[in-house]
Amino acid sequence: MSQSIGAQCNDLKKEYDTCFNKWYSEKFLKGDLRPECEELFEKYRACVLNAIKQKQIDKLLVEARKDDPFTSTSGK
Amino acid sequence: MVKFFQHTFKYEYNWDSVTLAFWLRYPNPFTSHVESVDVIDRYVDPNTGVLRTTRLILKRGVLPKWGKGLMKTPEAYIIEESIVNPKTQTMITLTKNITHARVMQVEEWQTYRVDPNNHEFTQVKTEARIISNLGWGLTDRLEGFGIKKLADSTAKSRKGMSHVLEMIREKQLLRGRGFLTSS
Repeated sequence: MSQSIGAQCNDLKKEYDTCFNKWYSEKFLKGDLRPECEELFEKYRACVLNAIKQKQIDKLLVEARKDDPFTSTSGK
Repeated sequence: MVKFFQHTFKYEYNWDSVTLAFWLRYPNPFTSHVESVDVIDRYVDPNTGVLRTTRLILKRGVLPKWGKGLMKTPEAYIIEESIVNPKTQTMITLTKNITHARVMQVEEWQTYRVDPNNHEFTQVKTEARIISNLGWGLTDRLEGFGIKKLADSTAKSRKGMSHVLEMIREKQLLRGRGFLTSS
């Protein structure tokens, strides 16, 4: 499994990724869209966002995500 | 200055497996320069049933030697945006660099669909655009480098995906035979 940008987030990432991969292949792709890993995701995400801030790339990220690339191409 | 790159490829795996492999594609032996991959946003749109994901990828060593003086750090942050529609069996991804974007911006779109000729296979269309704002000969060198690098990295990412797909297939076979009870 891949590493997280924050070494302190690796355990949370592993837990979340494992949950997501299972949900994605066994539920989502089979048509069951109800989310299952949200609690794990919120914990993991909070840790990652913190690491991003520490590395001072948070502003770059906001800038890069100003426009949703799929709003104009969703029919592509 | 802008340059374009286009490529179509077919994986001999079904669409479900290929899109799963997209999430699992790092690490693999063909992309040792990927340091980290993180999901920073992800939700299912309640109106469309589409899975929307944003990931942040950190890569190292993405420039040739003569280009290193142009950049303060040898690391590159990449943002990967994607949508997966399980109903239409379409996955669209966009990856672009967010650091060094003033030197060179690479935007790569990929569309994953079921192969119309064989439903057990998956067709991937890659379209990329390289924009460079540097003047004179350097732009040409950089952009030429960009296209070459892109062709190389597309080939490498195909190998990486195939590697991960093989692992997924083995795991499914084992599970099917009762050797593995859970993931």
